[in-house]
Amino acid sequence: MKGFLQIHDPLKPKGQVVGIDLGTTNSLVAAVVNGKPLCVEVDEGAALLLPSVVNYAADGAVLVGQRAVAKLADAPTDTIKSVKRFMGKSLGDLETKKLGAYQFVPGTTGIVRFQVAGGQPVTPIEVSGEILRQLKRRAESRFATKVEQAVITVPAYFDDAQRQATKDAGRLAGLEVLRLLNEPTAAALAYGLDKNAQGTFAVYDLGGGTFDISILELVDGVFQVKSVGGDSALGGDDFDRAIVEKVLAQRGLTSPSPTQIARLLQAAKAAKERLTDATQTSFDFEGVPFSLTRAEFDSWVTPLLQKTGLAVRRALKDAGLTAADIKGVVLVGGSTRVPAVRSFVAQVFGKEPLADIDPDQVVALGAAIQADLLTNAERQDEVLLLDVIPLSLGLETMGGVVEKLISRNSPIPIAQAQVFTTFQDGQNAVDIHVVQGERELVSDCRSLARFKLTGIPAGPAGMARVEVKFAIDADGILTVSAKDQTTGAEQQITVKPTHGLTDEEIEQMLLDSIENAETDMQNRLLVEQQVEAKRVLTDARKQLELNGDLLSDGERASFRASVEALQTLSAHATDHQALKDAITALDEQAKPFVERIMNRAITTAAVGHRVEDF
Amino acid sequence: MNHFEVFGLTPSLDVDLRALEQKLRTLSLEFHPDRVTSGEAKERRIALEKTTALNDAFKVLKDPTRRAFYVLKLKGVDLENESSAAQAKMPMAFLEEVMERREQLEATRARGDLAAAQAMAAEVSTLKTQAFEAATTALKADDVATATHQLGRVKYFTRFLEEVEAFEEERLS
Repeated sequence: MKGFLQIHDPLKPKGQVVGIDLGTTNSLVAAVVNGKPLCVEVDEGAALLLPSVVNYAADGAVLVGQRAVAKLADAPTDTIKSVKRFMGKSLGDLETKKLGAYQFVPGTTGIVRFQVAGGQPVTPIEVSGEILRQLKRRAESRFATKVEQAVITVPAYFDDAQRQATKDAGRLAGLEVLRLLNEPTAAALAYGLDKNAQGTFAVYDLGGGTFDISILELVDGVFQVKSVGGDSALGGDDFDRAIVEKVLAQRGLTSPSPTQIARLLQAAKAAKERLTDATQTSFDFEGVPFSLTRAEFDSWVTPLLQKTGLAVRRALKDAGLTAADIKGVVLVGGSTRVPAVRSFVAQVFGKEPLADIDPDQVVALGAAIQADLLTNAERQDEVLLLDVIPLSLGLETMGGVVEKLISRNSPIPIAQAQVFTTFQDGQNAVDIHVVQGERELVSDCRSLARFKLTGIPAGPAGMARVEVKFAIDADGILTVSAKDQTTGAEQQITVKPTHGLTDEEIEQMLLDSIENAETDMQNRLLVEQQVEAKRVLTDARKQLELNGDLLSDGERASFRASVEALQTLSAHATDHQALKDAITALDEQAKPFVERIMNRAITTAAVGHRVEDF
Repeated sequence: MNHFEVFGLTPSLDVDLRALEQKLRTLSLEFHPDRVTSGEAKERRIALEKTTALNDAFKVLKDPTRRAFYVLKLKGVDLENESSAAQAKMPMAFLEEVMERREQLEATRARGDLAAAQAMAAEVSTLKTQAFEAATTALKADDVATATHQLGRVKYFTRFLEEVEAFEEERLS
């Protein structure tokens, strides 16, 4: 993509760089201030965690965070939660169907589109973009400067499509994504730099919707990822779902409504959280209590924990290590607060896990550190992160079998060239299908992209030699280039993403959001004036009631009329300036009245009364 | 520059892994794109290219099997290239043996008999080790023909073992 969106001015001041943990359940933004990483308040009540929930209202308004959570039960299809699980996925993916009561709209590509209130269907990329935009705004007001560059974390196990989708969401929110950083690597960075540790560490990250295991080694200032593994569709949400399934089975509910499911999921989540400290709990569902003990809950989630154990063993094997080689195990993700998870981890590794840093914040803090390391020239020598590609990259060959091109856990950036030839005389194009995954059949792997090599000089079969280079950059994202070895000509390749958006679609969305940003700004200014009007109106009404006798009948009627006029204007205003003028006018009109009120107050005070309601 | 040269080494079947990892760290500290994030586009591109070459080389050199295939490639036989003519030189008897084993594996897979597949894997694993040792000896003696044959066998056995592994994962998950 070329155009004004990519124009890059190196002299432009960069403002504050931040690290963002774009989580399944909650999202956080952090930055390094005076050498220390800290999380920014991002939601109501000075909360550091912004629930990753976005509500779309009929009037086009978009709510993010707690205010969106409040809409979950009443507007379940217009309120998107756990959107991260849809990133880079298509409607055809089995998992998409079990993720809630959403209404989907088929699109031109395989990408998921939610039908929501208030206009166009939205993609997971746009929904994530709203979350990122909110984080960006909060960070901007916290630091009173622009925030345009960010390190965004992704599960280490995210495939190319999921990474690309995350990067696109960043672009939509107006952020230059300095780096997509694997979440466990971020967590290790937060621990590693704090403790100046040397040795091999495991990071066990169980979030709302994803599970990651990473084995890292810190030697001489180089943080090297030895292996990663996990399951991008396993997390605390599944614990909630396990509870919900028990309730549904007990009540004999075979086809619950979306609202019922949403209510149950909320209740189940709260019950799960209570069981961290309590050994038993109960909640009410449609007037009937459902009680459960921690032991019961533990037994329901055991199969899920065993799945994580399998991934741990594989990651250790890939790193050529055993559990005994691990110096420390870092816990990440809110789901690691579940006692059954902690004891399972202790059992698998044979040692108690570390949890000194808040497991909810540790990833964002690590991302902030990486953002600082990447942009702060003074810190670039401190530590270097060497990451790996989480899933093998392969090509479809004859019979739908995958030929591995780059195997998982290879350090990135990395590239691999492959020479293609023709099978038939006179053939002038070759179809190439890139997949990601460990299985041997194409149908069992994730399809990343398909493209056609064209313009091959026609000749006898096997004559042509086209070298295709697959390069994985430091973000774990694939780019493809091709060269005709006989002519030396570079080939143009258009990669059509199987699950993502095309660059043109992203560009259109960016243009739309710039137009919307203008409208958004107008709306924000208007809302500010409406709040101001409300404050002035409340004061005016109160004083009319308490001190109305200070005005003549004529004055009072005139003032009352102005108050009502402002009330009407405020409710229907579309122009913030007109409203502001009306507020100023009312304020002006009130001046003589206020003067009399002041005089009365002073007189009252002078005769020994308390000045109240002034 | 070949992969050995990237690490300042001369082509050899014997590589000190600890020294290789140490060198990867020092060279990464020198070249990695993260070291020049604020540099010019050209500088960043060169950093990316150098690090990519470094990682490519590391991937090959750290693994004894890959390393042996690479040493053979430097001697002029590229067994990793599917369309390579070298493939056709495998003796017919060996290809028939491979076919037979694969059919047996398919059958155990269809039956869901993991134990039988694992027993086959143990046997093939021994054959693979023997073939690899023979290839190493041949490469050291500069006997390219024998090395090609033996590494060809290693390649077939490796693929067989990967299939058993895929079967194991299928059963466990």
